[in-house]
Amino acid sequence: MGTVQYLMDGFATALQWHNILFALVGVIIGTAVGVLPGIGPMSGVALLIPVTATITSGMPTEAAAASSIILLAGVYYGAMYGGSTTSILLNTPGESSSVVTALDGYQMAQQGRAGAALSISAIGSFVAGIISLIGLVLLAKPLSSIALEFGPAEYFSLMLLGLCAVSGLAGKSVTKALIMTVLGLMLGTIGIDAVSGIARFTYDIPVLYGGIEFLTIAVGLFAIGEVFKTILEREADDEPIAKISRIMPTKQDLKDSAKPIARGSLLGFFIGVLPGAGATLASFFSYITEKKVSKKPDSFGKGNIAGVAGPESANNAASGGAMIPLLTLGIPGSGTTAILMGALIMYNVQPGPLLFNDHPDIAWGLIASMFIGNLVLLILNMPLVKIFAKIIQTPKKYLLPIIIAISFFGVYAVQYSTFDLYLLIACGVFGYLFTKNDYPVAPLVLALVLGPMIENNMRRALTISNGEWSVFVTSPLSLIFLIIAIAWIVVPLILKLLGRNVVINEEE
Amino acid sequence: MVKSFDKISGIVFLVISLLFISGSLQISGSAYGSAVGPKTYPLILGVVLGLLSLRLIYESFKKNAQTQHAEKSQMNYKNFGIILVSAILYIFLLEIIGFVISTFLFLLVAFQVMEKGKFISSIIIAAVFSIGVYMMYVNLLGGTLPKFSLF
Repeated sequence: MGTVQYLMDGFATALQWHNILFALVGVIIGTAVGVLPGIGPMSGVALLIPVTATITSGMPTEAAAASSIILLAGVYYGAMYGGSTTSILLNTPGESSSVVTALDGYQMAQQGRAGAALSISAIGSFVAGIISLIGLVLLAKPLSSIALEFGPAEYFSLMLLGLCAVSGLAGKSVTKALIMTVLGLMLGTIGIDAVSGIARFTYDIPVLYGGIEFLTIAVGLFAIGEVFKTILEREADDEPIAKISRIMPTKQDLKDSAKPIARGSLLGFFIGVLPGAGATLASFFSYITEKKVSKKPDSFGKGNIAGVAGPESANNAASGGAMIPLLTLGIPGSGTTAILMGALIMYNVQPGPLLFNDHPDIAWGLIASMFIGNLVLLILNMPLVKIFAKIIQTPKKYLLPIIIAISFFGVYAVQYSTFDLYLLIACGVFGYLFTKNDYPVAPLVLALVLGPMIENNMRRALTISNGEWSVFVTSPLSLIFLIIAIAWIVVPLILKLLGRNVVINEEE
Repeated sequence: MVKSFDKISGIVFLVISLLFISGSLQISGSAYGSAVGPKTYPLILGVVLGLLSLRLIYESFKKNAQTQHAEKSQMNYKNFGIILVSAILYIFLLEIIGFVISTFLFLLVAFQVMEKGKFISSIIIAAVFSIGVYMMYVNLLGGTLPKFSLF
């Protein structure tokens, strides 16, 4: 069967009525999550995993996995889009990837062109989503067949590369990012060892035998941590929201933003495919590019529509591009994709090259549903922009406690243990402390997801080689991965020593 | 604040790494036919964390000598404390007084802590949420949540 045939089958899965509903619900919730202050894509997706797990609990595993991943992916790119709404209307970016959107978007809103800015960012997101999906369709098969040739040694090195890439770009201090990574790997070793069946670090506490649940950690660090932060550092008064008058962009607006959208989409896609470099970098680079290409660089920062169109397309394209390493190699390149991967593993579906062979309906169903989801996003957001802008005004008084209650309900419904709830609270406190002191938490979650796989591949590789550690450097592919991994950590350090400013990727 | 936090956390991480190393040495070593037993990988992690935490301590002391910005911001410790304690109480009571009542109480307390007043709408929202979630989950989706029981 060719790619087209697979894609058609994918559409057959995605067009089942309940999956359309899931995609619809996903993008609506995602947009709301993106718009709401305080919860970004990462906490939004983490928060919804338990909810989707309960909704799909009656379905057969395969179908349940397909449906919930469709919903969660919808939340992901819905949130990427929703984040721009707050940057434009309030000048307060919902997530770091829409920081640059605020530069020109808010200016446009001040000039009474908020509607145009919002609709251009919706159109840009749509085009970018479609372009990155086409890229995903074209690259999925070839990449996963290359990855099928990988042995355990190659996998081990590749995963190490993924971790290094995310840590190297994750925060102000590489040391701190690496510490968080190692902490995540350590948490992953708690429980029964999968190879020998020996209990490790359980101290005879029964709840620890099953290991630390990734879901609890992710929801705690991101969602609860974020809530605690907002409670602690609450600002008294909210800024007034810019009014939206005319929604449709003018012909001139469309003409001015066509090229930035195209450039932003391509740039964002390629940056998104790289592990570690996520949507934030993509939108940032796109802004710089637009400013360089523009005939009137002075007009940037004063409400130039290209400054909205480019970065917005880039960050959505990057989130599509980030799905490629996740689906084809099983290596998540960012915090949010790590959480998506954790969700798949919960359903006993292992992302990676075998995904396209073992579970074609999940892989292709997801891809097809993203086409539908992007279309839904465009259709919904143009007329509903005003309603979503209303969501911003949800009083924090009600919002924050309800987020805590939803997290509690979600984690309890999946885990049935109050131990996990205590752990959730503890993770929330740590999540707040870590983020406040520049310890990035995304690498920790990524490491927790990848940890067991890294260990298994390491031990498998060493078993095949009879305990020879050189196996990781004698295989050429593995050696290349390791060299890139080291370069990813070392090069930014050298640049810093040389006094260059290094762009870092904040949490997304 | 960041710098002193780094010093403390550096030392904490160092202690964790030492505990982790000693813990992994106690894991029984037999490998059952594979070349590497269950303790090698945790041992490596422990050593790496140890090295990284030494580096962190070094960095935090080095930076300390340069400049120190003390940024004081208005922190809402009181609200946070009350919500944290009530969240812990919520967990403790969850399996005793059941999901609906404990959730309702937690939400009510938290709403009022966030902002006093609008008592009636707080009660309504808390009740709708706790009863709504319970009904939807238990009756519609067939899940189980702790019910109220005195025994």
